Amino acid sequence: MNCLQRLWPLVLLLSVAGAGAAEEFSFDASEFEKKPFEIGGYLQLKQESFAFNRDGAFYRLNSVNQPQRDNLDRTTGTMELTGKLRGGIGTFDFHTHSDLQRDQLAHDHNNILYEGAYSIRPDPGLTLEAGKRTLRWGKGYAWNPIGFVERPKDPNDPELSREGLVMANGDLIFNREGPLQTIAFTPVLLPVGNDVNSEFGAAGHLNPAAKLYLLYRDTDIDFAWQGKGSRPGRFGMDFSRNITSNFEIHGEWARIQQFARPVTDATGRVTTEVGNATSYLLGLRYLTEKDTTYIAEYYRNGTGYSDRETREFHQLVDAAFTQLQQTGGGVLLQKALSLSQGSYGRPNPGRDYLYFRAQQKDALDIVYFQAAITAMMNVQDRSYQVTPELSYTGVKNLDLRMRLFLLQGGAGTDFGEKQNSSKFELYARYYF
Amino acid sequence: MKNLLRLVLCLVALPAGAAIDGAQILQKVDRNLEPESYESYRKLIDIQPDGSRKESVLYTMKKGREKVVALFLAPPSDKGRVTLRLADNMWLYIPDVGRAIRITSLQSVTGSVFNNADILRIDYTAEYNVTAAEEQKDAYLLSLKAKTGEVAYDGLKMWVDKKVLLPVTIEAYAASGLLLKTLHFKDIKDFGGGIKRPATLETDSPLYKGYKSVMLWSGLKKREFPDEIFTLNYLPRVQELRK
Repeated sequence: MNCLQRLWPLVLLLSVAGAGAAEEFSFDASEFEKKPFEIGGYLQLKQESFAFNRDGAFYRLNSVNQPQRDNLDRTTGTMELTGKLRGGIGTFDFHTHSDLQRDQLAHDHNNILYEGAYSIRPDPGLTLEAGKRTLRWGKGYAWNPIGFVERPKDPNDPELSREGLVMANGDLIFNREGPLQTIAFTPVLLPVGNDVNSEFGAAGHLNPAAKLYLLYRDTDIDFAWQGKGSRPGRFGMDFSRNITSNFEIHGEWARIQQFARPVTDATGRVTTEVGNATSYLLGLRYLTEKDTTYIAEYYRNGTGYSDRETREFHQLVDAAFTQLQQTGGGVLLQKALSLSQGSYGRPNPGRDYLYFRAQQKDALDIVYFQAAITAMMNVQDRSYQVTPELSYTGVKNLDLRMRLFLLQGGAGTDFGEKQNSSKFELYARYYF
Repeated sequence: MKNLLRLVLCLVALPAGAAIDGAQILQKVDRNLEPESYESYRKLIDIQPDGSRKESVLYTMKKGREKVVALFLAPPSDKGRVTLRLADNMWLYIPDVGRAIRITSLQSVTGSVFNNADILRIDYTAEYNVTAAEEQKDAYLLSLKAKTGEVAYDGLKMWVDKKVLLPVTIEAYAASGLLLKTLHFKDIKDFGGGIKRPATLETDSPLYKGYKSVMLWSGLKKREFPDEIFTLNYLPRVQELRK
């Protein structure tokens, strides 16, 4: 009896463990049934350390009349919420973005409705929706020349969510047997007014756009068009296809008609060149047996600036600061500032770029640990940016990512004149 | 005398062995595992060597032999992701990216031992030819060879329970002959509607020593779907099809 009493806790423990093992793999799907209202999202804390390129044109322009610094630390808290409200034949879905930034120079906060649209599906092959929506057109990873009705993508973070545009759009899908398996047509109407989509272009237009998707002989093909209105008219196409199961190629081509491009010379004389601009992209994605993914893209930016034009702009910046120092006059500086806030200040203002990314899944044999390196190069001036990256997703609902941006280039080059010479970034993102 | 007996046994056994129709068995395995068109919920559990787990839940729709869509319902970081398979073509739709990108069968959208071919599995008969069939004590052993180079595993060895014609164990091999993983089917359950099949699939791989992945089924039932949902344009709206 005494022995049994002593063993009793062990028996109890083993029974509990046994019960646990029996329930180890239980699964009841009822908790995942569709609900009338759903909400989710993430909270993110990001720390960035910028090392400034004190000689760079964009550092000098952005820090005029400010205390000069070698570096800056910024902390950003972000919350994004996504949700759905279902009722009748329709669904309302939304995506909000809120952030709070703090660094040694400024505090800032934003609350933005990224998406908020109501959609109805009278038939599986027909969807109609209206509201604020993010449409992403194109097959390129870092750039999308046919992204006609969207805000520009950040090639440093191509998978980042973006704010949409207010529009009405539809989706008609036809499926059939044979080599042409799918035909899908997406018409879009995009209004631009003083308070609606004002960043898109000139106010007072209802801009039409459309995309036709075909799945033809295992190749994705899109034809895209945007009518003349707030912006010049444009059209283009893309494709994507697997050559083998682990080797994909893709491409995009776009032409903007009568595109107006401001070009400056070193003295600040700005001329507007009007003409058709052709952009295109060719890329590939390759997965090795060891789970290394390679992505490579070449991007021809038809609206971009040549090496000579870029250098002239940077010479203008030099001249502007020389004028400021010698005479105290700010005429050239105002011109340079104005141009830097326009097309010369885009993330990729050049004409030819190469993009390369290699990422290793389960690096160092650690499951959910990924190591990657990304390089972006302005082909004409040979300046570049290299970004090593480490990420870990092994903790439930938590993503951790660390990146270091290293920019390299001589005076007068694209990456050599950026505001930063390097940037360290670390974030923790918790999903709920 | 013993040798004569062996010879007689061999002669008796040989026609019986030759009579096994491996292709027919594989067809029955396909239909016994799932109806041709169905919906189901699955939970994927990845167990790491230290015992920690990562779980994903997917809602799956299949139509015909070669069309599959899987929607991620959990974890929150993957919620809303959708994978589509049309024969050898596979795509992944990520809500934040907002468009579908092509993926390969050997990748894993969950980052687990299960790859996309396991998660978006179509009929075995659609991907493999039976090259040999052998009758064993309680099982048929089918040797399968991939029909094309696009298939994730070049060869399979499938042990099929003779009584219920359901797979018990499958070994998956690369073209080099390397064993990539072993699938163990367990826990036969009646899902209703005449569907009785394993509710648990456990996987281990010599390439992921110490790791184990488990797939659990729930709510598996016949359902017909329109063709339009198996298209890239429909992927953002797939979750509205759940009842």
